[in-house]
Amino acid sequence: MGLLIECKEKGPGVYIVIPKGEINTQTYQILESALRDNAASAKALVFEMGQVSYVSSLGLSAIFRIKLALEERKATLVLVNMQPPVALVFETMKILSAQVFASLQEADEYLDRFLDGVQKGTIKPRTPLT
Amino acid sequence: MEQQFTLEETLATDLSQVMPLVERIAQKVLALTASAEETFQVKLALEEALTNAMRHGNLLIAKQVVTVKVKASRERIILDIHDQGKGFDFSNLRDPTQGENTERISGRGVFLMRKLMDDIEFYDAGSGVKMVKTFRLKPGA
Ligand SMILES: Nc1ncnc2c1ncn2[C@@H]1O[C@H](COP(=O)(O)OP(=O)(O)OP(=O)(O)O)[C@@H](O)[C@H]1O
Ligand SMILES: [Mg+2]
Repeated sequence: MGLLIECKEKGPGVYIVIPKGEINTQTYQILESALRDNAASAKALVFEMGQVSYVSSLGLSAIFRIKLALEERKATLVLVNMQPPVALVFETMKILSAQVFASLQEADEYLDRFLDGVQKGTIKPRTPLT
Repeated sequence: MEQQFTLEETLATDLSQVMPLVERIAQKVLALTASAEETFQVKLALEEALTNAMRHGNLLIAKQVVTVKVKASRERIILDIHDQGKGFDFSNLRDPTQGENTERISGRGVFLMRKLMDDIEFYDAGSGVKMVKTFRLKPGA
């Protein structure tokens, strides 16, 4: 199964990314290049994960590369509405637990706080991991 | 309903060959187990083992091959993946769920394989891996 990416601006600098399909060895580059093309200056990305049926470690790596690139320029991402098997992969790996939400409504509070912090200068750019 | 299957494949090192084979095996597992959950688990462990064999084992050298042997019944599946690399120190991997490792870009495949399968054994210094998963028996099956 392949991967299709829809990307739309929800508010200034906040993009909803809707992947459909699997994020695996064969498709992870589709995700990364779609975001390079469409959301290069985003302040926040919201991954609407409801139509992602499968993710493997290469998919997780892609999500981490996207996350690090965002954090290096004081931007962030959240993931919402994951299907249970995919959520279980994230839980098993203990990753991004502060940025995974059941719904967009639940993510809004985190995003508001984050964007507020950027405005006030309390959020610093991440230094790249060595 | 299917009762069992066996499969033996030799793949050239080419990452685009991974998902078609994984998908083919996953369909057979689903037919055997009628369990989307167990199929997901087998599929993920197999993708991780195959990508590791090609990337880290065969170092993406196209003429090196990966052999895949699968033996499955309604009770269990045995997956054996072998590459032509040098192997690795599989007993000394860092735990990707600990501390700052959770923030690393990679290093999750083997941990997932161990979590998803009931038994996993590396052989030939790590250039081969044999994974076993016992399926839960469905009521009335
Ligand atoms: N078949 C193999 N041959 C040689 N080395 C291997 C093999 N499988 C794994 N390794 C080594 O073990 C390490 C850990 O593998 P693991 O799959 O956990 O992480 P990764 O492949 O580096 O990243 P990820 O799986 O998260 O994409 C690899 O980086 C590699 O050094
Ligand atoms: Mg791996």
